[in-house]
Amino acid sequence: MSLFLKQLGWELFRMFARKRTYIGFGVFVAVELVIYALLTLDRSERNMERWIERVAGGFDHYFSALTLAFMIVAFTMLLLGAVFVSLVTGDIVAKETEDGNLRLLLVRPVSRFRLLLIKFLACQLYAIALFWFVGLTAFLVGLTERGWGGGMFVWTPELPRVSIFEWNEGLTRYALAVTAFVFAYLPITGIAFALSCLKIKPAAATIVTIAYILADSILSKIPLPIFEDYQHWFITPKMQSWALLLYQDIPWPRVLESWTWLVGFGITGFVVGWVLFERRDVKS
Amino acid sequence: MLTASGLKKRFDRKAPAALDDVSFSVEAGEIYGLLGHNGAGKSTALGIMLGMVFPDEGEVLIGGKSVQRERQAALSQVGAIFESPAFYEYLSGWQNLKVLTAFSGGVDRKTMEEVVEWVGLSKRIRHRVGTYSHGMRQRLALAQALLPRPRVLILDEPTDGLDPEGIVEFREQLFELREKSGVTILLSSHLLSEVEQVCDRVAILQAGRKVYEGATRGLGGEGQLYRIETASADDLAKARKLAEPKSILAGPGDDLFVFPADADPAGFLADLVNAGVKVRQFVRLESTLEDLYLEVSQIRRDRNQEPKSA
Repeated sequence: MSLFLKQLGWELFRMFARKRTYIGFGVFVAVELVIYALLTLDRSERNMERWIERVAGGFDHYFSALTLAFMIVAFTMLLLGAVFVSLVTGDIVAKETEDGNLRLLLVRPVSRFRLLLIKFLACQLYAIALFWFVGLTAFLVGLTERGWGGGMFVWTPELPRVSIFEWNEGLTRYALAVTAFVFAYLPITGIAFALSCLKIKPAAATIVTIAYILADSILSKIPLPIFEDYQHWFITPKMQSWALLLYQDIPWPRVLESWTWLVGFGITGFVVGWVLFERRDVKS
Repeated sequence: MLTASGLKKRFDRKAPAALDDVSFSVEAGEIYGLLGHNGAGKSTALGIMLGMVFPDEGEVLIGGKSVQRERQAALSQVGAIFESPAFYEYLSGWQNLKVLTAFSGGVDRKTMEEVVEWVGLSKRIRHRVGTYSHGMRQRLALAQALLPRPRVLILDEPTDGLDPEGIVEFREQLFELREKSGVTILLSSHLLSEVEQVCDRVAILQAGRKVYEGATRGLGGEGQLYRIETASADDLAKARKLAEPKSILAGPGDDLFVFPADADPAGFLADLVNAGVKVRQFVRLESTLEDLYLEVSQIRRDRNQEPKSA
């Protein structure tokens, strides 16, 4: 176990030693700042004020650092989350195979399963670090703008109605939601990883993953009876499970059901990737 | 120490076999060369030995362990260098070694420093690999192959792109490794002079088949290349027909025959006489590896170009 952790540690070290990794983090910060600027435009703020006053009352109390941070995170993840997670996971095997780095690892006395598991787990840990980074930076932006304290006003299309929390409860829900992105994005890492294990260009693994998610998202929202019977086949509605943690009362059975499904999808993606790669010829 | 038996590999059903029944064995402490053109099957053979390519048939044993069935046990004895080794450019040489050796169970700092010192990379080991020259990358490649101490080194075109000084230095390092550590070395190359100077024995691959195996030094002594002069063209054709099942290569339109290392030239002469072939001359030619290689290549090429009879 300690050797496995050591190998995982070096894989993470390698991943985080790349400049590209930080460029990714930098892009997220830039997008967060743009969203922040848009949200704090006079017109946007006036709209928010009218809405909050009507639904919860007390705009100054509920338009807090947490509310602002939540909106920044939700928009940023919508715009960039899938792209970055599939970029990193789509690269993890395909790029290293293409560049030849993987050959130096494959001749080591380690099973392909172990090697792939380390890479898959490294992608998950990268995703956790990224989501927490986005969550923390958004919170810092919120704190800078609105200061400590107040309430939390939450609405997303997935919520049946607006949720309102006080500061401490809001902080807990915010932390839970940010962490839950890891489960939400497991299908994306699963698909990208499985594709990455094919003899495929790294960009192709990323593009196909994003295309699949986009198609799934669009089809799942088409209000036609023909799609009703197939709703359980769509991934993206289940990926919204992070929003369940922001319900006024968390529906834990639904949360656990969704997480089980998402984890299952992620593991399936890994297993498919492993099966594809296990007997693949890697030739110089 | 290393035995490849009956290796067959076809990457595509429509394409010719990349390897067709290739077998050889390398003794402990020996330096063995795999020689052949690009596309002859060298890299496929090495890929199978290193568990990166799965053979359709056949098996490779390293130190008695099967690469195909006991991958980890077999590969724990091996260090490998590839043509143009790809390191993580953004990491230092030292960090690259740490990442790679972690997958071999880890190596202590002292051993790593000794190996880095031995390959002559101490001064630059903390620098980013992206700043390394080709020669330095090759030194780093040798260092990673030696960590942890392997019993077998498998080298794919190790001197490719090195300057003459670098080649000489690398050659000396291989001899030193063999003398001091008794490491068995398998080297693939298309450079005849390199193989001739470094290897004890060589196998020549052509279009996926082993067409020759024998010692590199004193080829004449081993007597692999023969001129067989017959009384008539019919006799020569008979000789060629008799040679084929014994894997003795014969050139069309000439009287040169290449015997594999384990062939019995005297026995073949007796076969010819018994078959009624009138033999005027049966002469062993003194030849260099280059002569032999070119001869074998030419014979194969000519044979492939021969129109098929209806």
